[in-house]
Amino acid sequence: MAHGGGFGHNSPGGLLRYPEKEPFALKEYNSHYDHIFELMEELEHKGEILIHRITPEHKPVEVFTRTGRIKTIPTNKLWHHKSCGQCGNIPGYPAAIFWFMNKFGLDYLNEPHQTSCTAWNYHGSGTSNPVALAAVWLRNMHQAWKTGYYPLIHCGTSFGSYKETREQLIFNKELRDAVRPILKKLGRLTEDGRIVIPQEVVHYSEWVHAVRYQIAKLYESEGKSKGIDISSVRVAIHNACHTYKMIADDYPYDPEVFEGQRPAASTAVVQALGAQVVDYSTWFDCCGFGFRHILTEREFTRSFAIQRKLKVIYEEVKADLIVTHDTGCTTTFEKNQWIGKAHGMYYPVAVMSDVMFAALACGAHPFKIIQLYWNCSSYEPLLEKMGITNWRELKKEWEDAVNHIAQLEKAGKYDELMEFFKEYDLYEPYSKTASGKPKASATANIPLFKS
Amino acid sequence: MEGHIYGYNLPISEKTKVVPWEEKVRVVEEVKADFRYKEYIYGCLNCGVCTASCPSNRFFDYSPREIVQRFLEDDVEVLYDMMHEYIWACSQCFTCWIRCPFVNNPGGLVAIMREVAVRNAFEATKDLLKPYGRVLLKVMTTGNQLSADMLQPDFFPDWGPKMADNMENLRAKRLAIPFDVGKSVKTAWEVSLETAVEMYTIWRETGIFEMLEKLDPNLYNVIMDIVEENEERYQELTEED
Repeated sequence: MAHGGGFGHNSPGGLLRYPEKEPFALKEYNSHYDHIFELMEELEHKGEILIHRITPEHKPVEVFTRTGRIKTIPTNKLWHHKSCGQCGNIPGYPAAIFWFMNKFGLDYLNEPHQTSCTAWNYHGSGTSNPVALAAVWLRNMHQAWKTGYYPLIHCGTSFGSYKETREQLIFNKELRDAVRPILKKLGRLTEDGRIVIPQEVVHYSEWVHAVRYQIAKLYESEGKSKGIDISSVRVAIHNACHTYKMIADDYPYDPEVFEGQRPAASTAVVQALGAQVVDYSTWFDCCGFGFRHILTEREFTRSFAIQRKLKVIYEEVKADLIVTHDTGCTTTFEKNQWIGKAHGMYYPVAVMSDVMFAALACGAHPFKIIQLYWNCSSYEPLLEKMGITNWRELKKEWEDAVNHIAQLEKAGKYDELMEFFKEYDLYEPYSKTASGKPKASATANIPLFKS
Repeated sequence: MEGHIYGYNLPISEKTKVVPWEEKVRVVEEVKADFRYKEYIYGCLNCGVCTASCPSNRFFDYSPREIVQRFLEDDVEVLYDMMHEYIWACSQCFTCWIRCPFVNNPGGLVAIMREVAVRNAFEATKDLLKPYGRVLLKVMTTGNQLSADMLQPDFFPDWGPKMADNMENLRAKRLAIPFDVGKSVKTAWEVSLETAVEMYTIWRETGIFEMLEKLDPNLYNVIMDIVEENEERYQELTEED
């Protein structure tokens, strides 16, 4: 089905919408995907599913997908579907997302009632199946719906897997019939027995894309006033395979980013901030992560990352930074540089996600928030170039805090530790859960990070 | 069959040769019976765009074009052989999917083949996934696939000397993050007990524990001990409430 009925077409329930004219040159891809929105409306009408809709309280922003469909991105009242790889291995990644949300005074929920999507495991080991993947997804989506917050997916693989699972569910009654009894057992259907499916599956990079002009404004007001200047920073963009190659028709494209011919997220925010986006010949290649490979076929991962990406980016465009928007790519590029020295293939370049770089530009603490100490690759030249020349003092400030906490804990001085945290610049809401008594909302008048 | 005129010229393994034909047919039919199969394979121009852009093809004897072609030709012998080691080279990046003019999804076919290989507990699959055991342990018991404490420097010497620095005072470092992020070093985030128990129910109802038992009985026993302990703890807490 081409373009769900053509430009200017709206589905009866308004979930599927196209602009009056093509936003950029369009090739007719497998746009049968767009038809799922009309099928979702039909299934809701039949009472089989409930669509978790994006409403004005979510402060929606509209973007285009590569078929020209209008995709609605919620920017407020979000349920954080965290990434295990980011929280475990790149802690500055989710911290940067929360930092922006607090800066913008947005409401959100970060709670423990979430599982991983388990798709990394599936793509790495095959030890799961579509019914299990669907049950995990729908369980998490039900939890978000129950709390009244809209799910924002941090991980690219979760995002890709959830998009694919939704397509499978909508097109296959047998999958819906297989998963419904499991959800019933879990208490994860609506009271009248319907499956909860979100209107849009939304990745955090789409959120960053949607709020990029707000981010640029924050850079102007707070980043530049701290002496930060990113106008000379050369940035190579790496788009994650699972965001734009899995269910390729459900990710933002924009006429201002390579005339709508490449994924827009990440590139657009770097452009909006005024850094230099530098193009390179292997932009489309994957990073080499491979799911199983980064753990058990490491020589493949590092060979691919070095030869197809790091070497190219270093030699062709001399980038200061690779900007990513997913867990595995960030880890792969960042951790596989040092080993290149052994083969005379050392191509040093800083690596971080779009939201981490944007937060740094807006004045976030490089260590307390962006957690750069965790990086194995060299980030210091980038900080110098950005004008964050006091990074040594900031690093010492961080290390002193860590050492103090470690000493108190080792000595068993928990009362003193609690006193320390009262004075430490923790953000609010520190944690808010659906089952427990909610703590203060981020929209309340609570002081933000002091550093 | 030894090799193929269109390019698949890897020798069929001796282990495959001795497997009864009916068994090979059964396994390949199990792949084709998956509801996704018909959505992943259409016509094939044999253009090789998928293979030209495949990252795994650059470093392994692996070609997504061959996967599609062998299914279209119903080449049972080769498909069965591929399901032992060949398919595990795929990076699951889905570059093949976005590049294919006919919207074939070779990476998706590989996902089905891997799933069937695990379900049938092929010896090669067991060996191949042995080093992956600690990820399976983590995801099956906690609902998280990765945690900070899994990144021991000994496991990642090629990531350089900074890994050791990173792990020093790890807990204090995580406590010093001014958000509720990564506070638990044993899981990516604090997963509530009821959430973990819900996940166990999903594993049980969808046959994932059974898959695991066939794949690695020792690992399965370790996992089930933790699962049952957590389920009992949850039961007690529920009764207290």
